[in-house]
Amino acid sequence: MPHQCVRCGTIYDDGSKEILSGCSCGAKLFFFIKKERLKEAKEETAKLSKREKEEIEKDVFDLVGSEIDEDKPVVLDFESIKVLKPGKYELDLVSLFKEEPLVYKLEDGKYMVDILATFKSIMEKKK
Amino acid sequence: MLDFMKNFFGKVFGNLFNKKKHVKLGLYGPPNAGKSTLANTICKDWLGEEMSSVSNVAHETREINVKEQVSIKSDDGKELSFNLVDTPGIATKIDYEDFLKQGVKEKKAKKRAKEATKGVVEAIKWLDDMDSVVIVLDATKDPYSQVNITIVGNLAARDIPVLIVGNKTDLKKADLKKIQAAFPQYDVVGMSAKYGKNSKDFYKALFKVVK
Repeated sequence: MPHQCVRCGTIYDDGSKEILSGCSCGAKLFFFIKKERLKEAKEETAKLSKREKEEIEKDVFDLVGSEIDEDKPVVLDFESIKVLKPGKYELDLVSLFKEEPLVYKLEDGKYMVDILATFKSIMEKKK
Repeated sequence: MLDFMKNFFGKVFGNLFNKKKHVKLGLYGPPNAGKSTLANTICKDWLGEEMSSVSNVAHETREINVKEQVSIKSDDGKELSFNLVDTPGIATKIDYEDFLKQGVKEKKAKKRAKEATKGVVEAIKWLDDMDSVVIVLDATKDPYSQVNITIVGNLAARDIPVLIVGNKTDLKKADLKKIQAAFPQYDVVGMSAKYGKNSKDFYKALFKVVK
């Protein structure tokens, strides 16, 4: 599945070295993009200014929590939460209720499901 | 002596093991349906203090709020104890421009949108922890929304007992029958959480749902 850099919008094919090492712009946060959504994703990104993309990147980091290591590449399944523009979100409730993970950490080229643990630890802290 | 020991240990360990964990009662629903207003009404009625802040601008509650050990009493002297969990409103779309229209400044509106999005995810994650749920709906709005149907469907799939509150019945546009028609398999209580109207029926219905 292709990946899109959250900061600059560059799209990389599955297995590209940039997904493991980080985008050429320096960012390490990627969205999963389904092939059928590729055209739409490219168009949406083209409409965003550099500042808006940076704002989205910051918001996404805030959304997924501080548990994420900013130095390691991270892939987000934002089919469940779509950031259209800074401050504009679309949520896919059906997949959220299915408790599918939202964030995959990349380590040694493997995806690690992480968000459930992240949310559980938030809940433990609050109890 | 043996009997005494038996009794003693029976009491100590019996209490230890039979001590029921506090039942969690969750308030779920779309934004601005009145979940926090209802939480406040319950807490004011039984604890004499409010629980959450409320606002006309949607997504005022963006974090889970828990009030522990709320005890309510029925007319015939039965008591019901639970931890009340007020949750952020569940939505499919959160747009900061909606907050701008209500007079919130851009920076704050964007922050509110981000926190509200996080709140939706958190509310959903807490669902598995709930023993019973009160779904709070705005009775002046169409009940057949994706949010309402998704919440109700998921609670049914998880076998969590549900009570539906049709809130804001003090308003002329309120249509309780429509909610009852949309979710015929559930008890629906009409009330005005803001003015405490019909809260007696609500508490009565709670006794049936919270086990």
